[in-house]
Amino acid sequence: MAALPVPLPSAKMAAVEKRRQAVAQATSFTDSGRPGVPRTAATAESEEDFLRQVGVTEMLRAALLKVLEARPEEPIAFLAHYFENMGLRSPANGGAGEPPGQLLLQQQRLGRALWHLRLAHHSQRTAFNNNVGVAYECLSASGRKKKPGLDGRTYSELLKRICRDGEAPEEVVAPLLRKIQCRDHEAVPLAVFRAGMLTCFVLLEFVARAGALYRLLEDPGLAMADRRLGQAVLDTLEGALQASDDTAPARYLEAGSRLGPDSLALAMDRALVARRPSAPMTREEFLEKAAALFIAKVKPVG
Amino acid sequence: MLSPERLALPDYEYLAQRHVLTYVEDAVCQLLENKEDISQYGIARFFTEYFNSVCQGTHILFREFSFIQATPHNRASFLRAFWRCFRTVGKNGDLLTMREYHCLLQLLCPDFPLELTQKAARIVLMDDAMDCLMSFSDFLFAFQIQFYYSEFLESVAAIYQDLLSGKNPNTVIVPTSSSGQHRHRPSTGEAGTPEGVEASLFYQCLENLCDRHKYSCPPPALVKEVLSNVQRLTFYGFLVALSKHHGINQALGALPDKGDLMHDPAMDEELERLVLRWRPHRSSRQHRAKEPGAFGYQRRDKLEALQTVPPASAPTPCLYQWEPIE
Repeated sequence: MAALPVPLPSAKMAAVEKRRQAVAQATSFTDSGRPGVPRTAATAESEEDFLRQVGVTEMLRAALLKVLEARPEEPIAFLAHYFENMGLRSPANGGAGEPPGQLLLQQQRLGRALWHLRLAHHSQRTAFNNNVGVAYECLSASGRKKKPGLDGRTYSELLKRICRDGEAPEEVVAPLLRKIQCRDHEAVPLAVFRAGMLTCFVLLEFVARAGALYRLLEDPGLAMADRRLGQAVLDTLEGALQASDDTAPARYLEAGSRLGPDSLALAMDRALVARRPSAPMTREEFLEKAAALFIAKVKPVG
Repeated sequence: MLSPERLALPDYEYLAQRHVLTYVEDAVCQLLENKEDISQYGIARFFTEYFNSVCQGTHILFREFSFIQATPHNRASFLRAFWRCFRTVGKNGDLLTMREYHCLLQLLCPDFPLELTQKAARIVLMDDAMDCLMSFSDFLFAFQIQFYYSEFLESVAAIYQDLLSGKNPNTVIVPTSSSGQHRHRPSTGEAGTPEGVEASLFYQCLENLCDRHKYSCPPPALVKEVLSNVQRLTFYGFLVALSKHHGINQALGALPDKGDLMHDPAMDEELERLVLRWRPHRSSRQHRAKEPGAFGYQRRDKLEALQTVPPASAPTPCLYQWEPIE
C-alpha cells in the first residue's frame, strides 16, 4: 500500500462526501423503526451531540493524537490494538462482578505498561519517552496500602516480559537482565526505569539484526555458519564497538566505516582464504557472542 | 522498521497517505448506524472490531460501491474477497457470461456498476461479443486491472485516442468525463494503416502520466517491460498484457499467481468444516441471519453461506440475486 500514489485531498474529500451521502441514503432506507425522515441539519447536529455525549469524539481525538505521535507503519492495525487495549481496561468488559484480585490487577498493570512502551519505536525518542513516562505512572499507581512508586520486583518482571516477548533466546538476554535489574524492594526512579527500558529494546533490536546477519552467513546446505567466518564478523563488530567508546562524533564515523561493506568483506575474505574445513558455529552461539559485545558496554545499575 | 520518510511527513499528509481519516469517518458512520450495539458492547469494542476487520479486509463485504473503491486497500480487499468467495467457480472449470459475473459481484456489493464489469469483460473478449463465456481466472485478472487501476485506465484510454488521431498527447491533462468514447476501437479493416499505436511513443506518454497521476498506477518499470516487447499495440492489447503480467499482479498484492489461484488448502479445509457444520443446522442459521447482527457478524454469516453455495448452480444468476442489505 505504501508505494501507491496518494489521492489529492480534494479528490479524497469528494469521495468521502459521496460516501457519506450514500451512507445517509442507506441509513434512511434501513431505519425501518423510525419514520423515513431524511437526514437534515438538525439530525446531523444531534448526531454530533450524541457522539460527544457518549465520548466517541474524545476517544477518537485521543486515538488520533496517539497515531500522530507514534506514526506507525500500519496505522489501522495500530488503532485496532489501541481500542482493544482500551476495551480490556474498561470495567464494562468481561470482569463485571467482583473486583479482580491483586495478582490479576498486577498483571493488567504490566500489560498496560507494555502496551504503552510498544506504541512507538525507541528511535522516535520524544514519543518513546512520553510513553515510558505513562508506563511508569501505570506501574507506580499500584496497591492502595503501599506508597506510590515502582519497586524493583515489578521493574524486573517487566524487563523479563519484554525480553520474552522479544523472542530473543533467554541465555542471550540473561546477562543484560543481571546488569540492569534492581533489587526487589528497591524503589526505581524514572531515570533508571527509562534507561532500563531503552537498553532492553535496543538490545532486542540488536539481537534481531544479529540474527539476520547470521542467516546471511549460514551455509544453506548445513544450516550452520562457518566458525571462522562467524568469528571474523564478530571481531569486526567488536572492533567497531570499541572504536565508538568515546562519545566524540568522529568516533561514530570511524565505527561506521569499520562496519562498511568493504572492510567487513575484507575480514571475511581473510577468514576464508585458507580453505580448511572448520567447526560450524550455531545460531545460538553467534547471537550470544554478539549480544555479549553489546552488553559489555552497558553500565550496571547502582 | 524505520521509515524516516513517514516520520518527516506533515501530520495531515501522513494521515491522508494511509487513509486514516477515511476509515475513522467510516467507523463513526457505522457506529451511528449501530447505536444499539455500542450500548451493549461498548465503544472501544466496536472500534476494535471495526479496525480489525479493516486489517483483515472483511470490512468491504456488502458495502456500497463508493466505499469499496475509496482506497487502494479497499479495492485489494474486494478483489481478494471476490476470489475467495467464488474461486470454486474456477475450480470446477465453469464458464460464465459477463452478466453472470456481474451477479456474483453484486452479491458482495449490491450497487456494483455494470459498466465496470462490462469493461473487464471487454479486456477478456477483445470484441463486442459480450455474451461469450469466460473462465474464472481470465475474468478475475482482467477485472483486477480494470477495477484497481480504473482511473489510470481512463487516462490511458484518452491518451491512446489522442495518439490514434495523431494529436500530441502530452498536451492532454486528464479526461474530464468518463464518456465511453475510448470503447470505440479502430476498425481493423482500414486500408494500409497498421493497427494500434507505436509502443515507444505510447510508453513515453504513460511514463509522463504515472509521474503526475494521483491515483494508483502499475509500477512504471513493469509498464515499460510490457511495452518494450512489441512494436505497436492496441489499447485492448495493452490491457490484456497488463492483466496477464505476473509482476503487476504481485505488485498489486491482492491475488496469488495464476497457478495458485485454485490452490488454497486452508480454505478448502475451512469450507469442508463449514459445510459439515452448516448442513444439519440450516434452519437455525437462516433464522439467525434475520436477527440484527452485532457489528459485522451478520455479514460474516452471509459470507459463510455464500462460500458454501454449491457452484453447480452458478450459471443461474437469478438464484444469486440477494436483496440489498437490509
